[in-house]
Amino acid sequence: MMDAEYIARLDRVSRVYYQGRVEVRAVDNLDLLIRPGEFSALSGPSGSGKTTILNMIGALDMPTSGTVYLEGRDLTRLGRGELSRLRRDRVGFVFQAYNLVPVLTAYENAEFVLALQNVPVQERRDRVMAVLEEVGMAGYVNRRPDELSGGQQQRIAIARAVVSDPAIVLADEPTANVDLEAANTILDLMEDLNARKGVTFLFSTHDRLVMDRARRLVKLRDGRLEDDNQAA
Amino acid sequence: MKLHVMALRTLSRNKRRTLITSFSIAFGIFLAVTFTGTGDYSYTSMINTSAVMGLGHISVAAEGYNERPSLSRWLPDMDRVRKKALMIDSVEGAYPRIMGQAMFAAGAKSVGGMFMGIDPVLEKPAHNFFLRSIVEGELFDTVDGRGAVIGVEMAEKLNLRLGKKLIVTVTDKDGELTSELLRISGMFKTGDHDADSSIVLLPLARMQQTLKYGTGGVSFVAVHVDDLRAVNRVRREINGSLTGAGNVEVLTWRQTQADLSGLIAVDRLFNYLMQLLVGLVIAAGIMNTMQMSVLERSREFGIMMAVGMAPGQVVRMVLVESFWLGCLGIVMGIVLTAPWFIYMSETGIDMSSYVGRDYSAGGVLVDPVVKIRLFRESAFFILITVFLLTMAASVYPAIRAGRVLPVDTLKDSTF
Repeated sequence: MMDAEYIARLDRVSRVYYQGRVEVRAVDNLDLLIRPGEFSALSGPSGSGKTTILNMIGALDMPTSGTVYLEGRDLTRLGRGELSRLRRDRVGFVFQAYNLVPVLTAYENAEFVLALQNVPVQERRDRVMAVLEEVGMAGYVNRRPDELSGGQQQRIAIARAVVSDPAIVLADEPTANVDLEAANTILDLMEDLNARKGVTFLFSTHDRLVMDRARRLVKLRDGRLEDDNQAA
Repeated sequence: MKLHVMALRTLSRNKRRTLITSFSIAFGIFLAVTFTGTGDYSYTSMINTSAVMGLGHISVAAEGYNERPSLSRWLPDMDRVRKKALMIDSVEGAYPRIMGQAMFAAGAKSVGGMFMGIDPVLEKPAHNFFLRSIVEGELFDTVDGRGAVIGVEMAEKLNLRLGKKLIVTVTDKDGELTSELLRISGMFKTGDHDADSSIVLLPLARMQQTLKYGTGGVSFVAVHVDDLRAVNRVRREINGSLTGAGNVEVLTWRQTQADLSGLIAVDRLFNYLMQLLVGLVIAAGIMNTMQMSVLERSREFGIMMAVGMAPGQVVRMVLVESFWLGCLGIVMGIVLTAPWFIYMSETGIDMSSYVGRDYSAGGVLVDPVVKIRLFRESAFFILITVFLLTMAASVYPAIRAGRVLPVDTLKDSTF
């Protein structure tokens, strides 16, 4: 199997935590492939390993055993600086609690990753304004996060996640803190970006709405794969 | 990255904490200016007082005179030394003087003491404390006359009044005892017991004749400078200009007033030590505040690192915050300190009710009015040191911020 056919690949991955002396096996000997252009969701009860899998694919956490590949690169072999650059350039994150930088405006939050990449100012401006248009937030550029609703903040978070054209956007419970209308808007937006630009999305979710709209649904239980409606 | 914008907004987010931290920096500047300023003022004042008591800031004397003052050690050509000295930048005055031990007698009474031969035409009150302290009569007006100005306490001992005769007995350069008859033209009162009871001012040329020095002979030439910081340079330049002039030594007040120099060095050391302790306390406060700020924002740092900010950039961001905090503290410090500085430099605090008007230390009269004087370099040193302390106090919190693990902080916020 060619790595180029996959954005992310987990090979016999386990992740073990210790709560005091108690061993918690969050992910247990899991294999998983995420292809380019997927619009997939990980579902399962709390503690099933959804967030841990997202963390490992997003180079935020490392497996206890097994290997995680992102665009063919073995993440377990990269140093802290390389992982940081990889997250900056190839991964977009959408958090349940939005997690915008409170001291930055909507525009500056969307611009944040491009600024880290040292993209020239004019190009940055063009790309940020274009993506803010796409998420319907062009009229809110000077608002700080505390001046925006939850749905609006999540749209800015999506703009921040996709503005740098990442290989994959990892979204953890992106609709958990917003009402139904805002949830639908957010999912419409993500579906649109996936359809038009081919952005790969991987969600973790409890939300029926997200599960219904995901084209691939991976069910987890106790860190193991329970079901995958598009198993390779 | 807009690190400066982010830093300023972060500081404005918690205004109270920022103000309290800036105030502690400002208070540090206030204390440092007070400690350093009072030191600079009192040291300068003491050194200047010591200089105008006879030896000047720099003393050009015959070799060995400073170590063992004796009338047998003398400079043969005072005019050459004086002219060379006056050509040097920062030199305000150069005064030829003869200083030595003598026996003073009037009627049946006699006392031992010191005489200072001076030229009444060249001498200026600004550079001669005794002239400023004349309380009766006046300075003799001719350099070869027979006038004498005597301390009030010696006058009392010898039962002398203005116009009365005074016999001065000295050992001349050949070791022969010789006497001169003079008349009291004035009396001085410096407030210093030793000076008022033992020193007599005499005409320079008269003493040159008495001591058989010839017209150019003096014990030393006292050089006064307009800025104490120029002393070492002036000393070097005088030394250079007198190359080949024979057995001459050029000494600064540090060598001629070793007791005073030692006293100042010890006092300055304690002053710096005190400032260091105050600085450490303030730095600990700043470090604590920055640490709190970093801990409170660890989730924020985690998010920034999750989306790609490098740990080094996080460290830099916290240091940039400290930079602005330091700048704000310095501005507040200047605002807080300026009125105090102006009051203390112009008016000061009169401590004479506690220490008296004639308080002396290291053999030098000390001004009982405590004032502040700050050299420009001292002011820069304080500001730069306080700024660097602020930055140094933030290094550890900044490193802590850079060590935040995104996965740990995001755990608390559900990814």
